[in-house]
Parts: sequence; structure tokens; C-alpha cells
Amino acid sequence: MRKQFLVRLLAVLLGFTLIASACGDDDGGDAGDDTSGDDGGSDDGGDDGDDGGDDGDDGDDGDSEDTVDVTQGGSLLDTILDRGNLVCGVGGNAVAFSETQADGSITGFDADYCRAVAAAILGDATALEFVPLTASERFTALASGDVDVLFRNTTWTQSRDTTLGGDFGPTTYYDGQQLMGRVADGFSAASSVSDVDGAVVCTNAGTTTEKNIAEAATLEGANFGGITLQTFEDFNQVTDAFIAGTCDIITTDGSGLVGRRAVNDMFDDWAIFPATPISKEPLGPMYRQNDSVFADVVDWTVYASIILDELGITSANAQAFVDGYEAGVSDPQVGRLLGIDEGELQSSMGLPADAFFQMVLQVGNYDEIFTNNLVPVGLERAGSANAGWQAGGQIYAPPAR
Amino acid sequence: MAQVGALILVLGALGFLVSQAGDNLRARSIPTGFDFIEQPPGIQVGEGIQTRDFETGGRALWVGMVNTLRIASAGIVAATVLGVIVGLARLSHNWIVQKVSSVFVETLRNIPLLVQIIFIFTVFTTLGNVSLDSGPIHGWLHISNKGLSVPRVFGLNGSFQWLAFMAIGALVARWAHHHQVRKQEETGQLGYPIVAAGGVLSVFGIVGWFAHPVMGFLGPVFGLIADALDGLPEETLQLILAVLSIVVAILWIRRFLKSMSSGGGRAKLTDDDWFRMIFAFAGSVLVAFAVLVVWPGLSSWLLNSGRDFFQLLDDRFGSGNGGRPFDGKRPDIVKPGNFANYGPAGLTLTPFFAAVFFGVVLYTAAFIGEIVRGGILAVPKGQTEAASAIGLKRSQALRHIILPQAFRIVLPPLGNQYLNLTKNTSLAIAVGYADVVQVGQTIYNQTGRTLPVMAIWMLFYLACSLTISVVVNFFNVRLKLVER
Ligand SMILES: N[C@@H](CCC(=O)N[C@@H](CS)C(=O)NCC(=O)O)C(=O)O
Repeated sequence: MRKQFLVRLLAVLLGFTLIASACGDDDGGDAGDDTSGDDGGSDDGGDDGDDGGDDGDDGDDGDSEDTVDVTQGGSLLDTILDRGNLVCGVGGNAVAFSETQADGSITGFDADYCRAVAAAILGDATALEFVPLTASERFTALASGDVDVLFRNTTWTQSRDTTLGGDFGPTTYYDGQQLMGRVADGFSAASSVSDVDGAVVCTNAGTTTEKNIAEAATLEGANFGGITLQTFEDFNQVTDAFIAGTCDIITTDGSGLVGRRAVNDMFDDWAIFPATPISKEPLGPMYRQNDSVFADVVDWTVYASIILDELGITSANAQAFVDGYEAGVSDPQVGRLLGIDEGELQSSMGLPADAFFQMVLQVGNYDEIFTNNLVPVGLERAGSANAGWQAGGQIYAPPAR
Repeated sequence: MAQVGALILVLGALGFLVSQAGDNLRARSIPTGFDFIEQPPGIQVGEGIQTRDFETGGRALWVGMVNTLRIASAGIVAATVLGVIVGLARLSHNWIVQKVSSVFVETLRNIPLLVQIIFIFTVFTTLGNVSLDSGPIHGWLHISNKGLSVPRVFGLNGSFQWLAFMAIGALVARWAHHHQVRKQEETGQLGYPIVAAGGVLSVFGIVGWFAHPVMGFLGPVFGLIADALDGLPEETLQLILAVLSIVVAILWIRRFLKSMSSGGGRAKLTDDDWFRMIFAFAGSVLVAFAVLVVWPGLSSWLLNSGRDFFQLLDDRFGSGNGGRPFDGKRPDIVKPGNFANYGPAGLTLTPFFAAVFFGVVLYTAAFIGEIVRGGILAVPKGQTEAASAIGLKRSQALRHIILPQAFRIVLPPLGNQYLNLTKNTSLAIAVGYADVVQVGQTIYNQTGRTLPVMAIWMLFYLACSLTISVVVNFFNVRLKLVER
């Protein structure tokens, strides 16, 4: 009896050691998998978006090995080239920025910048998969590799830049948070935060917006009774609840409010205030950190759209610029940017020489993207921070040389 | 034993995964710590025991947990009551009652809960605005796109003394109940146990309304305990705890050995039994070790919180709580600034709370109804026939013969429904109700601490589920038929 018991005890202990060592093996096995995954990158890359995720994982598992990998061309750029499309995280419900149309396509300012990046990398603005993300899903989706890049009304903040494992590209739209109330409740463009005392204020969760309004309410001081802040996952729910009266006030980036007011045709019934926004919301692209090859591609796509605007090159006249180009006579900036000469600026960053020509041809320059998407809902460039730098705005790009 | 092994394995695997994930996150310089619990979160939550100016993220999460518990516990009570009614109605001989309840069950059971919650929420948003003369019954019942507001009954300072008074009442009522039952058994005459117990309770309730300050002596008693705890050095408590843990284990092993030894001979023990005893002893030594060496702060924490707790009781029960134990208030509507809204007087269910609450209650009630019906049908028909043979009326047979047996059958699946209900409240996020998931998600969105928040969620739901299981099991064991 006793003996049998001891034998079993031993067996159990042995079992545990086995399992423990098996775990150790797993560890080693993982490392092995990683390297093989990186080596056979081209095989993997042929698959779908999930591989992008795996590659992202691989890039971070080990320490020293992987740094080498990046310089050897382990960039997301290669994965995208292999895969043949760009996976772009957008809002999906953001009026004029990324709106899902009845046929399933997605249009808007952010969506056009996704197209611009796809056109620059792959020469095809439609080689693109949109992934609609709520504000609270977006950073997880980016970090896990479900999307290559975010163009999702995302505000550049210190904490997001430094703690979420991502980096920000150049700001594409300078925004600021505002509030919207009903004219019937006594609101006008001249109202201020102090007028929303006692209100049910709604916004979407996981945004800078919800922190800003909480702070602004606290700053109103003792005479201000406070607000009830109700958050929803999706900004459509926020707007619906505002229309229903469950929310007294809604708040988000000013551009979003203008867009919502426009599509609901409530110009005379809904008032946006205060005139000076309660926060700074520079919106721009976000990508995973430690991949400067891909980061450069996104950054310079945005810059190129701005420089092309400065040069007056549009989707309509880009071909004419190329055709009429005469070395030594025409502006050499045009030649460099459109890749008419060797286009080595583009090739040395891993793009086709005509990357930005394709971009402007298929999508347009900054002003076109702005005018096509944002002007229809009533957002103007002139006089705003989004005017070009020569016109007193903030839109500025380093020189292409 | 197998369970313990499996548990260790699962925990080990989890630990491995977590450490692996931690490495990956660190490699991406994504922060993983729990420091957000200590830092101000800078957010507001929609509703709860506190909604703004949180000092720590932990507090905000706690508000979310309380919101979850609130909806789960109220939901369990309401779903049980409704479910039992529906289940009985489905067995009714009345055609209309039976059909209505069947339709109720078949509809609600077959529509996904998420759809129901969103539907109820949408219905609320189609209602009118609140105004200073809102209805439908102004001052009693207000329904609008801001929710539902009804009169509220709440305890005042005196309620603690009153409850203490009622505890004595409950003892007396129990005695009265027993007395009546005994009389009934001895003389064969129909007694009135329920009526007697109820009567005693109501008398105590009414007398206690005025006389509850006599219980004021409890305050100083609790105060004495608090002082005693305050005076106890923590080393003493450490020793007491350590010794206690080992003594308990030894006592348990002794009892176990005794129960195993049949007759006078030596106990026959299987491996399993040996394992049990070794585990019990090793566990107690571990606990003692933890208390003495690893975590000496535990005993001072225990002492402090014990002292605070009894001091609180001292405050609550002591003199100076002589006022009315309870009060009620009718709902009011206030308009501090531009907006009319429900004031704090009434009991207000926001549309968010109401959607989740009614959603889980109706949905779960449909299932509970079926369980109750099945439980009653599962009682052998012979029982009903025997009951009528000895001359019991249908209602008597139901109450004394059928329901007690059905209850035993129903309890385990009922417990399952309670677990489901609690977990289903996490659908709250669909309509923006500030439950633990919604608040947690907001926090990890602002701090990037996804995994730590998820770990807290899991522990929280695990604790809820285990608590429900333990309670249900307790009744289950107590109600088990004693087999002869
Ligand atoms: N800029 C803010 C807010 C972004 C945001 O969520 N904006 C709303 C309104 S403009 C939106 O994009 N909603 C679109 C959607 O929910 O799909 C942030 O980065 O946190």
C-alpha cells in the first residue's frame, strides 16, 4: 500500500517536471518560430492581414536579434508590398472623415489619406482594406497588428505617443473640442461651458474628449454644480441619444460636431460653442513605433500632399506637369516629387519613383482632399489653422530634396 | 484531487501566458503595471456611488463594480420572482394565463439578450422630455427619455437599531412558528405557523419603530470590541492566526481520520485520503508561514480594518440614532441650469440602467420560468395523487407536497441562471451603462493598461460567480433529501 502511494507521488512529481520542461521547450520553440517566420517572410506575407499582426509580434519578441531584423528590411513596408494591400484603421462613422456608404465603401478625409498611402506604396489607391474601429478599439487594434496604420480622428497627445507603443505622423487636421446644444434650450455660438450646468453631456468612450470635458467641468469651480458625463461606444449612439433628448449636450472634436449638424440638417437648431475650443486636438496618422521605414513612408505621403498643394499640382493637372516637364527649365522640386527624373528620393525610401505622382493622380493633394470631403459639410480652410503656412495657417511641410 | 491538479495546471499555464504577454508588451514599451489603480484617472462615469473627481483609478473601477453588483443583485431577485410567477402561470388551468405566459417565454427566450437591451433602450429614447410637470402620474411616477423615477424608501440613522430590534423579533417569530408546528403535529389540529410568525414580526416592527433606541446599548458594546482590537499588539494576532491555522488543520485531520475508521479497526486510507491530509496540513503551514514571515502587514491590516469596522458599528448603533428608522420620498424634478432632470429625492433608473436591468430580468425570467415548470412537472404524479388521497386541497398539495420537492430539483439550474445573469450584465457596454466593463475599458483606453484591467475584470467576475455558487451550493446541500 505504502509503496504504491510513493510510486504514484513520484509519478506525479515527474509529470510536473515534464510539464515544466515542456513549457521551457515552448519558449525555445517560439524563438525558433520567430526566426523562421522572419526568414520566410515572403511566404507569410502572401496571406491576409493577420500576418501583419504576426510580423508585428515577431518584431518584438526577442531583443537583440530583432533590431538587426528591422535594419535588414523587417519593416512593415515589406509586409505590405508582399501582401499587396494596406490595412487601414478608420472610424467608419465620422462624418466627412470616414463615413461608411450604403455600398460598404468608406469615404472621407481620413479614408482619402489611407488611399494616398496605398497609392504611394502600391501604386493603387484601391489596394486597401478599411477596418472600422471605435475610439476605444483603435489602439489595441494598432498594437496587435490588426491594422497597419490608423487614420481615425486620432489626437496626438503626450501619453498616447509615449505609452501606447505607437508613434504619430504629421498632423493632417488641426481641431479643437467644442460642445453642441439645442437652440431651443437657449444655446448659441456665444454660449460657454458654464452654461451646461446640470446637463447630461454625452460623448464616445476612449477619447481625449471625455477627459477634456471632465477637466473643464472641474475647472468651472464651485458655482458650477457639475455635469453627468455619459459615454457610448460609438459616436452614432451619441448623436442618436442627443436627437432623442436623452443627452442634453454632446461634445467631441469641432469638426465632428459641424459634420453631424450638417448631415442632420440642423443648422438653425443646434448651436456649437464655445467659439474658442476647450482643447487642442491635432489629428493625424498613428503607426507602431520602432519602424522608421514605414513611419517615413506615411509621414512623407502626408508631406508630399502638402507640398503638391503648395506647388499647385492637382489630380487634374499632374499629368500635364509631367508631360510639360523640361529639365533645367521647370521647377526641379516638381521633378523630384513626381519622380520624373530618377525619383531617387522616393526609391531610397523603398517606394516606386512615381509614388507621389500616383498619389496625387488617384487621390489628390492636401487641398483637394480637404475640399472634396470637408468643405461640403461646412468646414473651411481659409482663416483656420488648416490653411497653408503662406496663408497664415499651420499646414507646413519640410522641403522635398 | 484531480480538480486541484487541474487548477494548478491551469494557473501555471495562465501564469506562463501572462509573463509571456508581459515580455512582449515591455518589448513594445507598452506599460503593464497596476499603478493606474493609485493614480487619478481624470474621467467621469455616467452613474454610481461617485461619478466625478475620482482620487484614484481603483475608486473609479470600484464604482463600476458596485454598478455591476447593483444590477446583478436586483436582477436576481426580480428575475426569480417573475420567473416563478411565469412558471406557475404556464401550468395554470386558465387558458389565457397559460397562453400569455407561453408567449412571454417563447418570445423572450428566443431573442438575443443584446437585441432586447438595445430595444428597451431605444424605447426609452423615444419617450418625451422631462419637464417640471412631467407624468404620467406627477410626483409619483415619471417616465421620460431621461429614465424612470418612482418614490423611494430609505433607511435613516435609526434603521440600524431598528434592525437589531427586528433580529430579536425574528428569534421570537421563529419560536412562535415552531410552537404552532408542534401543536399541529401533537394535536392534529391545523395551526397557523406562518400567521403567528408574521404577526410577531409585525408587532415587533411597529413597537420597534418607537422603541428601537433601547438597542442603543449595542453601540458601546461594539465600541469595547474596537478598543480591545486597538489594544491588541499585532504580534499577538500573528501568533494567534498562525496557531489557529495549524490547529484547525490538525483538528480537521483528526476528524477525518475518525470518520474513516470504521468500527474499532485501523483506518483504511486510499491515496486520495493521504493526499487530502497532506494538502490540509501543508496548506495550514503555508498559511502560518505567510502570516508570520511573508506578509506580516496582513495582521496589522486585519487589526486596523477590524477596529474601523467595529467603530463604524459603534457609530451606527450607538445613542444619538434615536430618530425615525425609515423615510420615504416622492420623486422630484429639478432644473439647476438650463436642463430639467430628476432630482435626488426619488428612486431613478436611468435609461441605461433600465435597459440593462429589464433586459436581463425579462430574459432570465423566461428561462427561470421554464426551470420552475420543469421542476414541478418532474415531481412524480403519484405525489399529487397521494396528496389528494389523504384529503389535501390542490393548493395545500402544491404548498406542502409539490413545491418543496420541486425546489430541490430547481435549485441547481436556478444557480446557473444566476451566474448567467451576472455575466450577462456585461452587455451593459452596448448602451453605455457604467458597469465594471465599461469603466474598465475607459480606464485602459486612457492609460493603455489593457491586460491589468482585464485581469481585474476576470478576478471580479470570478469572485461574483464563486460567491453565487457557494450560496447556491449551501442551500443545495441543506435541502438534499436525507437518504435512508
Ligand atoms: N480626437 C479624439 C476624438 C476622436 C473621435 O472619436 N471622434 C469622433 C467624433 S469626430 C469620431 O470620430 N467618431 C467616429 C466613429 O465613432 O466612428 C481622440 O482622438 O480621442
